[in-house]
Amino acid sequence: MKRRKRTEILIQGDGSLAKALAVSITQKYECREVSVPEQGMIMVKMRESAKNSLFYMGEVLITEAKVEISGKIGTGLLVGMDEQRATHLAIIDAAYKAQLPEAADWEHQLLEEEKKIRMAKAQQQAELFETKVSFETMEV
Amino acid sequence: MGYVPVKGGTQAIEASIKRLTYERLKGQEILEINTILATMSSMIDQVMSESSLYSPELAALAIKQGEGSLEEAVFLMRAHRSTLPRHYYSETVEAETMLVERRISASFKDIPGGQLLGATYDYTHRLLDFRLLEESMETNRRWLEDYKSNFSAIQGSKEVVYFPKVVDYLREEGLFETYNPDNTAPTDVTKKSLQFPTTRSARLQVMTRGQTGAVTSFGYASLRGYGQVHPTVGEVRVGKIPIYTIHLNEVDQEPEDQFYIGEIRITEVESFVPVTVKNDNNKDELEFEIGYGACYGQNETKAIAMSILDQCLEHPNTDFPTHDEEFVLLHIDSVESTGFISHLKLPHYVTFQSKLDSIRQVKKEVQEVES
Repeated sequence: MKRRKRTEILIQGDGSLAKALAVSITQKYECREVSVPEQGMIMVKMRESAKNSLFYMGEVLITEAKVEISGKIGTGLLVGMDEQRATHLAIIDAAYKAQLPEAADWEHQLLEEEKKIRMAKAQQQAELFETKVSFETMEV
Repeated sequence: MGYVPVKGGTQAIEASIKRLTYERLKGQEILEINTILATMSSMIDQVMSESSLYSPELAALAIKQGEGSLEEAVFLMRAHRSTLPRHYYSETVEAETMLVERRISASFKDIPGGQLLGATYDYTHRLLDFRLLEESMETNRRWLEDYKSNFSAIQGSKEVVYFPKVVDYLREEGLFETYNPDNTAPTDVTKKSLQFPTTRSARLQVMTRGQTGAVTSFGYASLRGYGQVHPTVGEVRVGKIPIYTIHLNEVDQEPEDQFYIGEIRITEVESFVPVTVKNDNNKDELEFEIGYGACYGQNETKAIAMSILDQCLEHPNTDFPTHDEEFVLLHIDSVESTGFISHLKLPHYVTFQSKLDSIRQVKKEVQEVES
């Protein structure tokens, strides 16, 4: 699974899957911390809808971790302050880059997690739709 | 008059800082960061927006440290921001990717997807709720259970719905001008000081990080006649937008190789502003233009006011202060305005003595002439 979809699932989920996948790698392979997880910022670039041009909305606090497995460096990035999860994401990223056999077996778990996330979001949205306005035209 | 350096405040300053700690602690109550995060979302949103740093946790800490002073909290956040590395820029966030929590239009009652009120104070009675004086965890827990039980019968669809923008619907009808995507790299005012005339991107960046009160007041001033913009709100939306970025060192990256890093909650507004233009036959014709506003968190007043000022500054006019970009952009930043005003209370002994000397000299000269 490509990084974009994989990180969507691992970050939108509750973190237990990312932890489980990362632990399954660190139990078997040597994992070297390239740099200690650190907080930094990302500048958000947005498209405004009046003239369709770009502007910078502001900065967002992120946590970044880097690890090395089998000679490949993996990066973990996420919004907020969560060094542990950033490290888990970095380990998973390195596992994919190093093409470890375990990573090839994760597809099913990730797709199941994606389904759960989508259903939870749809349920939350359905609850929110209770606040949808139903207009009635009045007789004058 | 000679310049006289003085010293002697060190002990008093140390005692003053201790006094500040004493004032915070003397009530013997501790405000937990989690309590601020759970119950003060509007304040957190405002601090994040004005400091231009999205982090609810840091904003809550700044609010606690600043004892509820937003000016102090924003200052603390900006100071902390200056210590953080910034290695990444996001991929362009397209507004259609927002997972909407609230979406209303004051222009049309029937908008595609419908009007979603979400959570808002707009329809509440502004009466103090004295029940909150004796709020208990147990009562709140029961309320939550009861509220959630209302949804047990609701079956969500299998797919999440993303709403189209009201303005896109109008553009499809040919009622509003359509603009091709303009991918000109934006100006970053955190890297380079404002230069006048500014760019549209610089204006939007300064306004989105502007002080809520200042942006609101200038927007209001425009409506009251110190400007020429009186819009109808086309759409206000509050929701979460996803953030993606690319790897710093990888070459030949496909979009599928990007990192998803999480989401942030923002407010976005499009205001429809009537303008008179000349048509092909040189006759006056009514057209609509769009003012745009957006900010971190849920802060609808600020985003609407920003959309008014955006439209004002798109039409420079020195007859009106709110159409003057130097006037607006140089006075709405929280740290700049509160910093400059509050520096006035710091020692100005030499400056003031020099002014006194001038007055004494003038008076002396007048007395000599009169005698």
